[in-house]
Amino acid sequence: MSSMLEVKNISKSFFRKEALNDISLTINEGEIFGLLGQNGAGKTTLIRIINRIIEQDSGSIVFYGSLITKNHLSQIGYLPEERGLYKNMTVESHAIFLGRLRGLSKKDLNYKINSLFERFGINDWRKKRIEELSKGMAQKVQFVCAILHEPKFLILDEPFSGFDPVNVDLIKQELIEMKSTGKAVMISTHNMKSVEEICDRAVLIHNSKNIKEGTIHELQTERNSGLYAVRFQGNMIAFVNALWTGFEVQDKEVLGENRFIVRLKMRGDSSFEDLLKVIIGQVKIEAAWEVLPSMEDIFIDLVNSNKLESNEE
Amino acid sequence: MKNSILIAIREWKERMGSRSFILLSLLGPCIILCFIYLLFAFGGSSKQHWNVLIVDPTGIMQNRIISSEDKSISYSFADGYIEMNEFANGKKYQSFDALLEVNEKVLSNKMGFVFYRDSPSIRMQTRLRYHFERRLEEVMVKEFTSLSLKDFRKIKQPMSVYFRDVYDPKNESSDIGSWVGFFYGAIIFIFIFLFGMTIMRSISREKSNRIVEVILASVSPNQLMIGKIIGVGLSALVQFIIWILIIGLGLYLMRENIFPDMLDAANVNIDDLKIQSENQSYQETIFASREYNQFIELIYNRVQFFNMTAFFILFFISGYIFYGALFASIGATMGSESDGQQFIIPLIFLLLFALFSGYYILNYPESPLGDILHYLPFTSPVVVMVKLSQGYYGPGHVYEIYLTLIVLIISSIIMLAIASRLYKNGILQFGHRVRLKHLFKWLAKS
Repeated sequence: MSSMLEVKNISKSFFRKEALNDISLTINEGEIFGLLGQNGAGKTTLIRIINRIIEQDSGSIVFYGSLITKNHLSQIGYLPEERGLYKNMTVESHAIFLGRLRGLSKKDLNYKINSLFERFGINDWRKKRIEELSKGMAQKVQFVCAILHEPKFLILDEPFSGFDPVNVDLIKQELIEMKSTGKAVMISTHNMKSVEEICDRAVLIHNSKNIKEGTIHELQTERNSGLYAVRFQGNMIAFVNALWTGFEVQDKEVLGENRFIVRLKMRGDSSFEDLLKVIIGQVKIEAAWEVLPSMEDIFIDLVNSNKLESNEE
Repeated sequence: MKNSILIAIREWKERMGSRSFILLSLLGPCIILCFIYLLFAFGGSSKQHWNVLIVDPTGIMQNRIISSEDKSISYSFADGYIEMNEFANGKKYQSFDALLEVNEKVLSNKMGFVFYRDSPSIRMQTRLRYHFERRLEEVMVKEFTSLSLKDFRKIKQPMSVYFRDVYDPKNESSDIGSWVGFFYGAIIFIFIFLFGMTIMRSISREKSNRIVEVILASVSPNQLMIGKIIGVGLSALVQFIIWILIIGLGLYLMRENIFPDMLDAANVNIDDLKIQSENQSYQETIFASREYNQFIELIYNRVQFFNMTAFFILFFISGYIFYGALFASIGATMGSESDGQQFIIPLIFLLLFALFSGYYILNYPESPLGDILHYLPFTSPVVVMVKLSQGYYGPGHVYEIYLTLIVLIISSIIMLAIASRLYKNGILQFGHRVRLKHLFKWLAKS
């Protein structure tokens, strides 16, 4: 995968307040990238710098090998967190206006509006005024306007907030589709579940600094506590006896009569294969897996440990 | 620039489609037309018939002024003097609108006094004065000459000495003409205020609903601000053209249909008429011409609408950009839609000061302060309009109007540069309460 966007040592201060401190990251083609951080961490500032809405104090941003300029904006799509619409415009005229600002010709716009409106099921609303739409409908229109010019790089700030599950799925499918065609997506969100589901890599920004970057799997395995889980049907005593001294039960969850999920840790050199060997035949195994920390746990853990470090300094 | 045009078109369409725009476009000129109609129809007065009590102890006017002379006025005679207090408060005098005092010295000092309850209209004043003068004239002819009244009126020459500017011998620039300039200037500032507020509200609304961030991802803050100023300005210009068309059409219709007699009267030579006859219809003609001549001549003949409208548009555009940039920067720096009111008040004062400077020039056209106000970009649009209507820009002064225009254009460019800096640094700041220190900080920041 070749890199699409490189953020190199970006720093930005607003008067005396530091918003970003030496942030660097890379986003590759065909990748969905998570930008994580608490409120006020500097995510929006970074997004605005990438979008050339504001300028960095130092550092550089490289897009497809050259320093990013306003001319590149036609290849970038942006859906801000607190997005608005002109309430007294119709859905169609709003899309035409934003599309024209992104450099699309009237002819191209017509074709793209028709196809996207059809795909997102907003064809029937095209002549309605924005103020007549529900919140969910309006957000769909906003999303469509952000991808109307078929950007190679799409930046989404909290894209799933306000959407019902059906529409969340629709957006996710669209993002996965974009990824499969070599486009890149950057998602800034607090919704860790969606990060786990669709992001390939993520960066955590805390107190204006980049404190962790990696693939989702890397981030999870790095914080792996060696916990495994087994879902089975059978006798609990028989299961525990089979473990003997090689494994240590951490907790159990009763799912029904003689149906359990047990979480356990390895002792000594015991491995996942050893575990399976000892319990096969003792109980009916439904599933067994390595319990990885959720992104939410990782996020909280990283933020807290970073707070401690800051206090110690 | 392409993006600015797109933003301007959107802004223009939005304004044109708004109810307030349509309402103001139609109601504004209609109100002005109604005002002109009322001036024509009533001359500023509401009462069409007056009861006048003549106090004439020496009986000079007895049997000379009679009620049948004029349908608008009923005359009655009092016996002896009436104290002013008695006339003002006495029950039996309450039915009289005015008291005409003709004392015994009238033949020597030629003075009469009219004491009124409510200020008489120009129309009523003209009639009262006319009756009094004509009857007094008859007495004088009888007392001091051996001529018949007819012979006297034949040889009587109205003597008038007019003071005229050597550069304006036709007196094209009269005081009343200056008011037209002031009216033009006032229109500029009313439009600047109305549409400046529109710019400000539009920007603060975009800020509060956050669409601004989406737009700024495609265009620069400068392009956005300029597009907005152009778009709102275009709608102001359209509205102004609608006003001109409606007012023009209204004046034409008034001239052709509603007041055709009055217009005829305006074209009659008054002095010829005075000599001709005493009959009632000529009297009416004279009254009509005396009362309306000046105003009608001003509206239909004297005001150089083309010249003034051309400069009006130039100064309107430049003045609008100058003030529009100010309004835009206030809108961009506001933390919320309700914020920033404290900066509107000084701006309103500035606009009022500009209007006042126009009024000042009306009274003191050649003063040194007037020269300063003439070049000051805050006040020049209204001052130039007044001076233009006064015929100031004659030989030797023509360059001044262009110099003022250049100063205003340069000032507008500087103001745009200042505003764009404030706009750029303030547009993405939300939820704060804007203070002067913020403005200075944002101005200092590149």
